Order: sequence, then C-alpha cells, then structure tokens
Amino acid sequence: MIVEIGHYALVLTFALTLIQSVVPVYGAIKEDERLMAIASPVSMAMFLLVLLSFIALTYAYLASDFSVQNVWENSHSAKPLIYKITGVWGNHEGSLLLWVLILVFFGALVGFFGANLPAPLRAATLGVQGWVTAGFVLFMLATSNPFNRIPNAPMEGNDLNPLLQDIGLAIHPPLLYIGYVGFSITFSFAVAALILGRIDAAWARWVRPWTLLAWCFLTLGISMGSYWAYYELGWGGWWFWDPVENASFMPWLAGTAMLHSAIVMEKRDALKVWTVLLAIFTFSLSLLGTFLVRSGVLTSVHAFAVDPARGVFILVLLCLFIGGSLSLYAWRAPLLKQGGLFAPMSREGALVFNNLFLTAATVAVLVGTLYPLALDAVTGEKISVGPPFFNLTFGPLMIPLLMAVPYGPILAWKRGDLLAATQRLYAAFGLAILFTLVTFWMWGMDRVLAPLGVGLAVWVMAGSIAEIVTRVKVAEIGFGRGFARLKGLPGSAWGTATAHFGIGVTVLGIVTSTAFQDEKVLTMAPGDTVDVSGYALTFDGLAPSRGANYVEDVGHFTVRKGGVVIAELEPSKRLYTARQFPTTEAGIHTLVLSQIYVSLGEPRDNGSIDVRAYYKPLITLIWIGTLFMALGAVFSMADRRLRVGAPKPAARRDRTDGAAPAPAE
Amino acid sequence: MLWILIAAMTAAAALSILLPLSRRHGAGEGVPKVAADEAVYREQLDEVERDLDRCLIDPPAAEAARTEIARRLLAANERRKSGSGKPGSPIGVRVGKVIAIVALPVFTLGLYMVLGSPGMPDQPLAARLAEPPDGQSVEELVARVERHLAQNPQDGQGWAVIAPVLMRMGDPQGAARAYANAVRLLGPTPERVTDMGEAMTMANDGIISASARAAFEQAVELDPAAVKPRFFLALALGQEGRTEDAIAAWQSLLDGANPDALWVPAALDELAKLGGDMPEFADQLSGPTQEQVEAASNMAPEDQASMIAGMVQGLADRLSSEGGSPDEWIRLMRAYSVLGDSSKGRQAYESAVLAYGDQPADLAKINAAARELGLGES
Repeated sequence: MIVEIGHYALVLTFALTLIQSVVPVYGAIKEDERLMAIASPVSMAMFLLVLLSFIALTYAYLASDFSVQNVWENSHSAKPLIYKITGVWGNHEGSLLLWVLILVFFGALVGFFGANLPAPLRAATLGVQGWVTAGFVLFMLATSNPFNRIPNAPMEGNDLNPLLQDIGLAIHPPLLYIGYVGFSITFSFAVAALILGRIDAAWARWVRPWTLLAWCFLTLGISMGSYWAYYELGWGGWWFWDPVENASFMPWLAGTAMLHSAIVMEKRDALKVWTVLLAIFTFSLSLLGTFLVRSGVLTSVHAFAVDPARGVFILVLLCLFIGGSLSLYAWRAPLLKQGGLFAPMSREGALVFNNLFLTAATVAVLVGTLYPLALDAVTGEKISVGPPFFNLTFGPLMIPLLMAVPYGPILAWKRGDLLAATQRLYAAFGLAILFTLVTFWMWGMDRVLAPLGVGLAVWVMAGSIAEIVTRVKVAEIGFGRGFARLKGLPGSAWGTATAHFGIGVTVLGIVTSTAFQDEKVLTMAPGDTVDVSGYALTFDGLAPSRGANYVEDVGHFTVRKGGVVIAELEPSKRLYTARQFPTTEAGIHTLVLSQIYVSLGEPRDNGSIDVRAYYKPLITLIWIGTLFMALGAVFSMADRRLRVGAPKPAARRDRTDGAAPAPAE
Repeated sequence: MLWILIAAMTAAAALSILLPLSRRHGAGEGVPKVAADEAVYREQLDEVERDLDRCLIDPPAAEAARTEIARRLLAANERRKSGSGKPGSPIGVRVGKVIAIVALPVFTLGLYMVLGSPGMPDQPLAARLAEPPDGQSVEELVARVERHLAQNPQDGQGWAVIAPVLMRMGDPQGAARAYANAVRLLGPTPERVTDMGEAMTMANDGIISASARAAFEQAVELDPAAVKPRFFLALALGQEGRTEDAIAAWQSLLDGANPDALWVPAALDELAKLGGDMPEFADQLSGPTQEQVEAASNMAPEDQASMIAGMVQGLADRLSSEGGSPDEWIRLMRAYSVLGDSSKGRQAYESAVLAYGDQPADLAKINAAARELGLGES
C-alpha cells in the first residue's frame, strides 16, 4: 500500500504541475491576485507529495520489496543498509525522482521564503518551475516509472552496480543534483522576468541567494565526484575531462559567470540582458548534462538507462526548454532597458572580463564534449577528445582570468584606477614573485612552467587576503580598530575573499601535484622496495580476502621514512561476484597535505604484481580549495543585505545580530 | 485504507488551490505594504550610508551611488502608483475552483488507474519469508532456507537438504555450492561427493571440469564399487579424447553390471559412440539399438522427440499388454519422468506396484526408483 501511495502522490503531483504551469502565470499576466496566490501553496503541496513518493520508494528499498520492478532491478536483500538507501538514487528511475524532488524543493523554498518578492514575479517564477517539473514528471510516468510493479515478485534482486557501492558515490549525486537542479530556479526567475517584461537591479538581488545556493552545492558535488574518481578508478588522476565530468563542469562555469554578472546587475543595473541569458544558459547546460548522461549517448558509470525512447524524450524536453526560453529571450530582451554605464577599467569591467573568459572556457568545454558526439553521429568516426585539447584551450583561458582575480574586488565601481589597485596589491605581488623564485631554486629550471603556476596560485591567494586587509586599512588605523572593522565587513566581502582564496588553493594543489609528483610504474615481487620521493614503499605480499558481496586481492604495502614505519597501505582489486564486475581500490596515505597513492595492476604468476605508486605533493589542496569556495558561497548567502523586506523585528543597525533581517520601512 | 489515503491526499491538493482562491481581495498574505523592489532600493541606500560610515567608499562615490539608487527608487514608486493588483475577474476564479474540485481528482484518478496497481499490496521480503510455509511456493521456501543458511552458514544439514532441491529447480550452480558446503561441514560420503561432482558438471553444461573430476575420484576412493562416480569418470575420459582409456573404463564398468540397471543403456551408448566392443548382454536389452540412436542423433529435434515418444509408447503398450520385468517398468517410469510427464510416470509406477506388489524385493526396487525419480509417495 505504501508503494501505491507513493505512486499516486507522483501522479497527483503531475496534475498539480499542470495547474501550476497555467493558472499563476495567467494570473501574473492579468495581475489577478487570487490566481497568483495559488502558486505558493501549490508549490509546497507538490514538494510534500514528491517527498512522500520518495519516502515510499525508499521504504520499498529498505523492505526489499521485490514486487517493485525498480527495487528488484537495483537492490539485493543482502546489501548493507546504507547502500539500500543510496540505491534509491543509484539508478535511472530513482535518480529522476531525486531530480524532481529537488526541483519541487526549490519551488517550495521560493514559495515559502518568497514573501518579499513582488507577487507577479513570484507567481510567474513558480509557474515556470511548474513547467520544468511537469516535463520531468511526465518523463518519469511515461518512460521511467519507479513504481512499476511485478505481478509475481521474485525472491531476490539484481544488486546495485558495484562501482556505485561506495560511500563517495552515495553522497555525490544528491549534492550535484542540488547544484544542477538549483539552477532551475534562476532559470525560472529569468523566464518569469522575460514573460513579465520587467527586469531590474532588484531582480538580481532576489535571484542571488538561489544562485549562490545552487553554486555552492554544485561546487561540492563536482569536488566530491573528482575525489571519488581519484581513489576509485585507480589511475591516480583526479580529473579526466570525461564527458560526464564536463557535463557538470559546464553549468558550474556558466553559473560562476552568472554569479559575477548578477553582482553588476544588482549594484549598477547593468548587464541585465546578459545575466538573463546566462541564467538560461546555465540551466540549459544542466539539462544538456542530464541528457548526455541519461540518454545513453555517453557510455559511463552513470549511464543507467540505455533506452532510445528515454533519450528521445529527454531530447524533446531539452529542445522545448532551451528553444522555448531562447525564443522568448529573442522576443522580449529588446524590451529590457539598459542600465548604468561604466568605464572599461572598473569593477564592472573586471566582472565583464571574468564573464568573457568564463564563457569562452564554457564554450571550449562544450565543444570538446560535443564534437566527438557530433562527429560520431554524422560520419560514424569515433574520436576521443582528451586532456591535450582541454589543456590547450581551457588552460590558456584560465591564466589571464586568474591573474585578474585579485583586481576584481579592489577596483572601484564605475571608474576604477588600475594604478591605485596595483598599489594595494604590492604585497601580494611580492609574495607571488618570492614563491616563484623559491620554487625555481628548489626544483631548478627543468620545469619552467611549474614555478610560474605556483606564483600564480600564491598571487590569487595573497590577493584575496590583500583585498580584505587593505579594505579595512589595517596599516593606517592600527590593529585594534582594524579588527573591529574586519568584523563589520559585509558577508559578501568575506564570501568573495574566501571563494577567491579557495581558487588559489585549488590552483596550487593542481600545479604542485601535477608538476612535482613522483610516479613509479613497475612490477614488484613480495619484499621489493621502491623509493617514491624519499618514502620507501615495500610490497609485503598479496592476500585474497572477501567482503559481503565481493572477493578481492589485497596488496599489503609498508611505507617507511628513514627506516621508521609511517603507514601501511592496502590497495586492492575487487571482483563483485553478483555481476562479475572488477574494480580497483587505491591505497592512499595522507601526509599533512600530500598523499602517497598506490594502485594495483595485473598480478603476475610468480606472486609479483604491477604497481603504480605516486607521491602527490599538496594534492589534497585541490579539494580543500573547493571547500573554501563553497564556504565563500555560504558567507555570501549569510549576508543579511540579501534578505530585504522580510518580516522583521526592529533591529536595524545592529550588525552583530546576523539573524535579524533588515526592515523594509 | 488505500482509498481513504488517496482521497485525503487529493482533498489536500485541491485545498491548496481552493483556499487561496476563496480568500477575499486584499486579505492575502505576502502583499507587503511597500512594493518589494522599493524595499531593495531603500536597503541599498542604507548600505551606501553604512559603507560611508566605515570609510569603505569616499563621499563623492557615495553621492553618485545615492543619486543612481534614488532614481531607481523613484521609478519603482511610479510603477506602484500606476498599477496595483486587481481583484481579478470572477470567471477566472470560478474556472480555478472547477479545476480544483472536478478536473484535478478526475484526471489524477484516471491516470493512476491506468498506471498504478491499486490492488497490489506491499510485499516486503521479511514478511514474505515469515508467512506460514504451507501457502508458500517452492521458490519462497528455498529463499527462506537460503536466508537461514546465509545467517547460519555452518548448518551443514541445511546445505545437504537444500542442495538436491536446487538441483531439481534447475540451479546446478547453487546446488554445487550447497553440496560443497555440505561436504565441508558434514564430511565427504561417496554419495555427497558424487552429487557435488554431478552438480558441477551440470553447471558446466555437461563438461566435466577438473574439480568435478577430483570429486568423482574422491568418491571412488571412498567407495571403489560405486557406479555413479565411475560412470562420470569414464565420461570424462571420453570428453578428454582419451578414447582407449574411456573404452576400457566403460567396459570395466559394464563388466559384471546388472544388465537391467538404469545407467546401463546410457553407458552402452557411450561405448558404442567410442567404438568399443559391446558386452554380451547388450543384445538382450530391448533398448534402442545403436543404429536407432545414431539415426536419432542425426534427426531434427522435432523428429527426435517424436521418435523417442514413439519408442516410449511402444514400451508402454508392450508392458501393459504383456507385462515385463521390474527393470522394464522402471525404465518406462524414468522415460516418462525425463519427458516431463510425471502423471504418466506415476501411472506407470502404480501399474508396476500392482504387477509386483506380492514380491517384496522387486517392489522395493521399484519404490526406490520411484523415490529417486520423484514419482512415488516415498
């Protein structure tokens, strides 16, 4: 019965999305208050219904109800509890349900917290969100219903893809989805603004927390996926320019661009048309990513569904949403009034610079991802566009962008003074040069680019600190007052600095771990020792072992430094028996920020085995940097200036009380 | 219960539409006294002041920003005065109500009746396994035992019980595993080891693997007189292409065998295929002749089936009119059971019991065969 309740809830949601798609939007155009008023309650009702559906499906997984086809196909009664839960979204149908759940969740958030929005904007936004939801719920009901039943229930299920039986992958999709799908709400805001034909600085402020929220989760999701690939795929790399990775990276790049252009729009009423376009593009890229991953166009771990009907359906949805919104854009955008003017050398100018490069980078990634597919479709020729392409296109685009990052927050609005800004960055520049020279001195001239990369990373990090320090003028007014001012800085300033610092940290990790890594690929017999950057790695032997649903060969390694044992590593090669599916598990030991990474290749007859051993200096910075970026987004979201006009107790000038929203007067 | 919940959900959904629609104009929440965008701009003005207080911007810049924001504020103010929310036409609201009360439930129920299975209860695995056994299918019983064994893998008796059942259910792989566990826990007996080897062979599409062979060899070690493992070992020799050895093995197996034993015709076939000399009693058996077998193996599958059915029918007719030896009866029972016709098999068994009911030795033999074939009431 619970399962059927879940199914009914989903069908009921579909009916509500249809109403939501039409009534509030019509009301918004006709300025009919009562018709607009249904948007918020309906959005919350839809969220509760989809939540109920999701709970029902989770229950079916927990209870191993194999009369539900989806459970039978993707679960197994002997599976550990955690993977029974994560199995809910570890498959095509279930992950779509999660998709829709997040979609309606964002709708409900806007419905709940959107009291400060003008009624027509809120109604139209929720209506557009309703269109997107309707499309996806219909997709589920028509081609991928998770609640399909089997009349004669089998007694055992087919188990989950072993690669997905991993804690990293348990958390990564929901994060990624919140990011991906979160951009749907900015899309809805943009389309709603186009429908209503009005867009202004206030719009940018209203949209900003949603963009930040989505961006924050997408950052974490991508980062987590990258770390998963690093330890699970066993190649020692953490980013492969794999189409699936690109599919999540493109919305991130476009979303980052939108985040920056929205600042200009909010502060100066400029770049409005462009920001709206970016909002449409960002979500379109999310949809494109979903299409690429789900349609089976790409073969990957994530390609749960290789079913032409589904692919065609998503393609139709994709064309409808992207084509529809762009047509609307072409029709309405000329109506939007242009706002404030600015000189090229100004904060606005810097943000436009940022946008140009980020957009170009997005296009580079898009081309690299789609070109092989298009070529395959047209000529049948299969090529793969690998890291060299992206290193040649994406890389050079990032260098000027990163060099400009510290300038952005320091330049003044409207008309900036490059010289004055440079003066404030003297210290950062000095530090960058110092680190470059030190790196040259330590590593010599054989890796010319690497010290420059280190310098660039230090430049970005020091620049973001310099921004905060010079802003409060610690040097001039003394530390005590400076500290007080530091506390008074708005959250968005802290957010900017933290996120930019995070970029620098990530870049530093990327540069050091690629340029200075020590890689040893060799065949080791038991007792052999290999030196990896001063660490002696001894292969003690290979032993078979067995887990709940796999058998594995575990390699035992001891890491010594100067004769002292500092770690034991146990990389393994697993075979998941139910599906006869091999996986590798890397053995990783973290030394402060660096890592020793060992992964196993093929075993030889005489008990020796192929081993890839790496010393990766500072590699963890790559992911630590992304944490800083996400934290920056949180700081910016916490900035109370964003919560304008929410119902309030009077606590206006009290900066320390962050919880008190500003009054609307 | 399901329908009550469905009704409740539908009603709640309809209410989420009806309530806002029936609210009187102006009483709705979310209508701020100040237009939302004006609030934003006022806040921006405040922020300029704060930034000025903290010396984050200089006075001229603050002035410029103030002018710009004030302009936006004025524009927003104009907009608010020119157009305010209207109560809306009563027709729109009425249509909305009809949608909520009629269209929503009808549409949803209709679609659900097409897609859903309202009559189907949940079937959580634990509950299915806990059901009383008499109502359960064989699959459910097996699943229950397997679950028990997964939790108590040291229960050798359990493995021994489940192994033949799995074999009969067409899961030789599972049967082989179960036999292996039984052998490990309860110790090897010739029968158990042989059955394990047989299951392995079945799982391997009839090819005798090295490990299956080792099992048969172990069985022969335990009981040199055992026929079944020797039978399979001879078969293995044939499969390996060691024709001479295979012929010798078959001949030693057939040498001194009871000509009526069930396995003998199959052994003779193998021997004939390998081209070995037939033992003397071969001709006495009224089984299919070598020519017949070879003819059968060259035929199309349908013809083969009808030929076999014809031979079985011939045997049945002869036995029912003229009677026959217990072994002939058993052969008939076996034939039916191989053909999957267990009711005819049971009939043959009953006729055999009638024919030999007064001769305990023969009856015991017939009963044993029936048990083995799964025909009789043990």
